[in-house]
Amino acid sequence: MLLLSRSKGLPPNDYANVQHILHGREFRAEELPLSEKVIKDCVKKGYVAVRSGIVPLNESVLDLLTDRKKWLCARCGNRDQETFATCTCGRCRKNCIYCRHCLTMGIVRSCTKLVTWCGPEPALHHRFIHQNGPLCVWDGTLSDEQSAAAKALNQALECGKSFLVWAVTGSGKTEMIYPAIERQLKNGRRVVLATPRTDVVRELLPRMRAAFPDVPISGLYAGSEESNADAPLVVSTAHQLIRYSNCFDCIFIDEVDAFPYHFDRMLEFAIRKAARPGAPIAYLSATPPADLKNDYLSGKLCGVMLARRYHGHPLPEPQFRWIGNWLKLIRKGQLPSLLCEWLRAKMGQKRQMFVFVSSVTLSRDLTELLQRAGFSGTAGVHAEDPHRHAKVSDFRKGKINILVTTTILERGVTVPGVEVCVVGADDPVFDDRALVQISGRVGRSAEFPSGDIIFFHNGKTMAMVRARKQIEQMNQNGGFR
Amino acid sequence: MHCLFCGADQPEMLTFRSLLRAADSPGFCRSCRDRLALIGSQNSCQLCGRDLLLLDSGTVHGHICNDCMQWKKSGRNGLYERNHAVYQYNAFIKDVLNQFKFRGDSVLACGFANEMKRSFRRIRKEQRLKWQSGFIRSSGDYIVVPIPLSMKRLAERGFNQAEVLAETLGMPIINALIRVRHEPKQSKKNRRERLIVRDTPFRLENEYASLILGKNVLLIDDIYTTGATMRLAAYALSKGNPLKVDSLTLIHA
Ligand SMILES: [Zn+2]
Ligand SMILES: [Zn+2]
Ligand SMILES: [Zn+2]
Ligand SMILES: [Zn+2]
Repeated sequence: MLLLSRSKGLPPNDYANVQHILHGREFRAEELPLSEKVIKDCVKKGYVAVRSGIVPLNESVLDLLTDRKKWLCARCGNRDQETFATCTCGRCRKNCIYCRHCLTMGIVRSCTKLVTWCGPEPALHHRFIHQNGPLCVWDGTLSDEQSAAAKALNQALECGKSFLVWAVTGSGKTEMIYPAIERQLKNGRRVVLATPRTDVVRELLPRMRAAFPDVPISGLYAGSEESNADAPLVVSTAHQLIRYSNCFDCIFIDEVDAFPYHFDRMLEFAIRKAARPGAPIAYLSATPPADLKNDYLSGKLCGVMLARRYHGHPLPEPQFRWIGNWLKLIRKGQLPSLLCEWLRAKMGQKRQMFVFVSSVTLSRDLTELLQRAGFSGTAGVHAEDPHRHAKVSDFRKGKINILVTTTILERGVTVPGVEVCVVGADDPVFDDRALVQISGRVGRSAEFPSGDIIFFHNGKTMAMVRARKQIEQMNQNGGFR
Repeated sequence: MHCLFCGADQPEMLTFRSLLRAADSPGFCRSCRDRLALIGSQNSCQLCGRDLLLLDSGTVHGHICNDCMQWKKSGRNGLYERNHAVYQYNAFIKDVLNQFKFRGDSVLACGFANEMKRSFRRIRKEQRLKWQSGFIRSSGDYIVVPIPLSMKRLAERGFNQAEVLAETLGMPIINALIRVRHEPKQSKKNRRERLIVRDTPFRLENEYASLILGKNVLLIDDIYTTGATMRLAAYALSKGNPLKVDSLTLIHA
């Protein structure tokens, strides 16, 4: 196919090419730019390992006795039998099992071969080891609290220990990990910063590139073009890590709690597969999931808690406002009057607003109602909106005043001076973590350290109360009461 | 039971009908089904099966659409008579088709099985009625022939979506056609080029020629776009002297 379809044996250079493509990665044979012959040659020489994509899984004696066949997807780790299906396969002409769980990454069937490098290791990324000057050119300064946390993180990772950074929203987590990333890169290690969502990758990538201008950085998200597969620093959604194997020496997981269902097993599997054995993991979160929280509190997991934002101001605390049956009102084409009043007041102060709602339909309906009520510069976004990135960027530029959004913008998107309300905060979609994250959008910049966060509701929920309590607790820990 | 497409739990009420349905037959949830645009057989073009309610009534001539009038005039129909389609194309089915055809999620065909079967039953019934009233010579049942992919395309895609859809009918499938090549992407050709049926990419598999002799053939495909593919396939089949060729597609574009 590409480059390598020569008839006679391979000159050593071609191994280098295969190594370059396959080291630290695992691909389906059909997505490789290598011919079958080259792969076979490499397998014979012991440089390349090939395994089946779908393997039988017999967990217990009972399964063997009942003869119910069970399957495991070797690529994504899926073992939920309901997400396997059979197809009349056009390649092997048999009935093939395939995994529906990781279908978006290209189909894995029983006859699919997964290919990885198992030959000699390539040379380390030595080029930063002898560099004397700093790699990180970020010229901001860390607060005392941040510096202490950054130092503890750096030390833990140096000793190969995992670490939890439990920091309030807007605490400046990203800047805190710069020293640790620099240390790891200078040790010749490969580092990945994994996050749950495409939006977060798109927000982090330019910041990382600005902070580390001399380091090749690869950004991976659905639809991104992979430019630099063996970059020493990778910023990626966890999904995209599925094509890595035994690759990274150090892993940062940003917003660890934001993974769907708090860390889908497939994503956990993908991250573990992408990591080298024993690679330490740094978890960053404002609202860590229970297991991490418990491990930290019981001392099993090292970590640090930051209760103050980097600018030293307290977190804005949510206010509850009852607006009656908001769903019925909006369906009837009416705007809740308290919401109108609040938006008008904020428009008067020339502020920008996020309005969070629970569903795509609601976002459409409310956007239309607001536009009709004369709120100029109102737009709505949701996960499948093709213009979503353009709208967010227009909002940043100040071209949009009110952005009506589903929970997709609950984290990662930082716009200075924005004020926030949730319309229908009592909807079950909004759990306490989501509400804490949403509240965390407000007052993040030193220039505008405060602002409103309003929960419009038709009856307080436990989630609302817990979210407010958590924020108050953090402020208390931060010494504000 | 989860919805085959969106994965939502299906909290469907236990009704007599749902009890009758095989417990493990997977399908789409109510909300996914509501987003599919079923074509009512009363309102469909009698030649291509499209939903006539979506057309300007000026462009319809007694239950036949403009495109089909063009085909009639062209004199290139040969043994090909008509198409039946289950759904009209829309944004939702585009997503489903994308996952089914291009990502290879062939199990989605199960979600279409009921409607495909229902259409097939209707087609057979119409056939029987015509025969009983003496309009046609044969009551003979249909031979089901999926539109094939070329070997190259089959290797790329890993399965033939038309064959998987044909399987939902529960009839023996006769792979009577082979596709010698894949013509350049349809969109690149203009209409006139597409109408030249003599230049068919399909070939009748010799060993199956006897099976279709004097029979009715029902071609199966995922989508009916211009109707050119069907005519090209019917032209190749005509070497085996079938009685006539009809087709059933999941979608009318
Ligand atoms: Zn899988
Ligand atoms: Zn196969
Ligand atoms: Zn569904
Ligand atoms: Zn027609």
